[in-house]
Amino acid sequence: MVSYTSRYSNNILKSLLPWIISTLILIILPFIFTGGGSVTIMNQIGITIVMAMSYNMLLGQGGMLSFGHAVYMGLGGFIAVHIMNFVEDGLWLPLPLLPLVGGLVGLGMATIVGSFSTRKAGVVFAMISLGIGELLAASCIVITAFFGGEEGVSGDRTWAPPTFGIEFITQIEVYYLIAFWVLISIFLMYLFTQTPVGKMANAVRDNPERAEFVGYSMRWVRYVSFCGAGFFAGIAGALFAINFEILTEENLSMGMSFNILLATYIGGIGFFIGPVIGAVGFTLLQTVLGLQTDLWALYTGVIFILTVMYAPSGFTGIVTMHYVPWQLGKIHLLFKPYAKILVPALIFVAGLTSLIELTNHVRHHSQETSITLYWITFESNTIIPWIVLLAMTLGGFYVCRVFAKEVVDAWGEANYVEKG
Amino acid sequence: MTLEALKIDNVTKSFSGTEIIRGLNLSVGKNERHAVIGPNGAGKSTCYNLITGRYEVTSGKIFLHGEDITNLSPYEVKRKGLSRSFQITNIFPKMSVFENVRCSLLWSMNYKYSFWHLLGSQKELNDRAEKIIVELNLAERKNTLAGVLSYAEQRALEIGITIAGGSEVILLDEPTAGMSVSETEYIVGLIRKVTEGKTLVVVEHDMGVVFDLADRISVLVYGEIIATGSPQEVKDNQAVQEAYLGAALEEEH
Repeated sequence: MVSYTSRYSNNILKSLLPWIISTLILIILPFIFTGGGSVTIMNQIGITIVMAMSYNMLLGQGGMLSFGHAVYMGLGGFIAVHIMNFVEDGLWLPLPLLPLVGGLVGLGMATIVGSFSTRKAGVVFAMISLGIGELLAASCIVITAFFGGEEGVSGDRTWAPPTFGIEFITQIEVYYLIAFWVLISIFLMYLFTQTPVGKMANAVRDNPERAEFVGYSMRWVRYVSFCGAGFFAGIAGALFAINFEILTEENLSMGMSFNILLATYIGGIGFFIGPVIGAVGFTLLQTVLGLQTDLWALYTGVIFILTVMYAPSGFTGIVTMHYVPWQLGKIHLLFKPYAKILVPALIFVAGLTSLIELTNHVRHHSQETSITLYWITFESNTIIPWIVLLAMTLGGFYVCRVFAKEVVDAWGEANYVEKG
Repeated sequence: MTLEALKIDNVTKSFSGTEIIRGLNLSVGKNERHAVIGPNGAGKSTCYNLITGRYEVTSGKIFLHGEDITNLSPYEVKRKGLSRSFQITNIFPKMSVFENVRCSLLWSMNYKYSFWHLLGSQKELNDRAEKIIVELNLAERKNTLAGVLSYAEQRALEIGITIAGGSEVILLDEPTAGMSVSETEYIVGLIRKVTEGKTLVVVEHDMGVVFDLADRISVLVYGEIIATGSPQEVKDNQAVQEAYLGAALEEEH
């Protein structure tokens, strides 16, 4: 039998592997995506990852639905920008340490709010979070000395003393700063799930009453998670401040809180890495799709609703669902039906989105009749495109319905375990 | 005064004016196995809920090893060394069997709200959890989600969660309810094994189990204890015969 110590050190090595791989990926990513603006997008993704992971400490791990998580990010960010301005006036603080300060601000705020909001989970908690969110958003306009009114507060990160000769002037330097904090934050949040109170957070989420009968106050367990989530949200806020060098009322708004909720949920709240997937997906929707269409929020909303209705365990859940067929060696049964339904599904999506875009175009840009959708330019004031798109939508939908049965059958077959 | 493990002193409980528990007195000695029996709706579960802080008592006092635990919260009662199971299975369904047991051990092993210990490297904690799982006969199910266990296995886990924290006084609420004969045997054997050297209070409808397990029996009817004594005394008690046991024993045959 293997001794406990060697098994233990073996385990350490094994459990460190994903972290080493993640580190390497984060290091080489900028060399893969070299296109203009890709570093900017990656920075945004990094910030959203920290924020979504922090949000999932509440929702996924602790069963607390918050509508005001932007508060902790926003406050951390505002203080970070103010500190950047103090640094400009001579305060000594290297830029890479600023997220820690943001984190402490988030933690401080969470300590205060959590002291009364974590008394109950469910609706009471959600309503308090909504109230606090609204309160802060409103103060933003009123307390202009701190929040800067409608223009917000801006700063300049390059005034900080150079760190090992780096002055964080370029986006790529900021990228590595963010990547560093993303790794640290995810690592710490992962460790948290492996601690007594982190595990009890799951227990309280699943069965708060029983948790009390094994000796834990549900309120205190929630409070610890809540403070932790505030800390990491504050880090995300400071990273935002470093990256954008400006914070406005928008950072504290309900919209921001909802975006994080959306990203986390689409990624999958039941999985540790779900929010990472969600943050990547959501930010890409927001930035890449946002460049293509004004209606990106509409599409994001539709994806959110579809997730809630048909894939409550999120995108990560859809992927992990395939683990069983894969283990049974039957995953290949799914390839053909998936490929078959993919084509009509794409036609349906292309048709429907084009119809929506076309309608939007006619309503809001009527002086301009030429429109480009999916690399095809045509005139929006003729009837032909409408007929074609309508046919694509209806036809695609119909064929999808027909092929869906095959997918369902194949799914059943691929998950079927022979007895004996 | 000898210190009883558990003493209920003239406790009453009213729900919106209706008195459900009407002056309950019960004392359970140290290391005693005490069964509480009575017809449905007599207030047995309510009595447990009052002891463990799920409900507040309307009047009266409850003592654990001589210490007043009246109206403490469930987690405080548990920390004082009293642990209970539930009539309707009450486990952590989305966690593995191992996690269920380990979570139940945490507080008693002084981890409290620690976020600086990594569970994976707590050798003593993990060994103890493993040991309890073996005792429960659930070793093969160690990594199974508790929610997908069979009913009897869930009941066993329920008892495991209850005893894991090392409480001195164990309250079991109908541990064999809804079980087949062989499952009942398994659970009774388990209860015997894991409550060795502890004080046990058990609410149970199965008279076979009650007479098999208990040193003393109390009969609870309409929120009052009408008799307490050894199994034989209770069987022979005229009031008990009339109020409850006659019918219950007939049902058995």
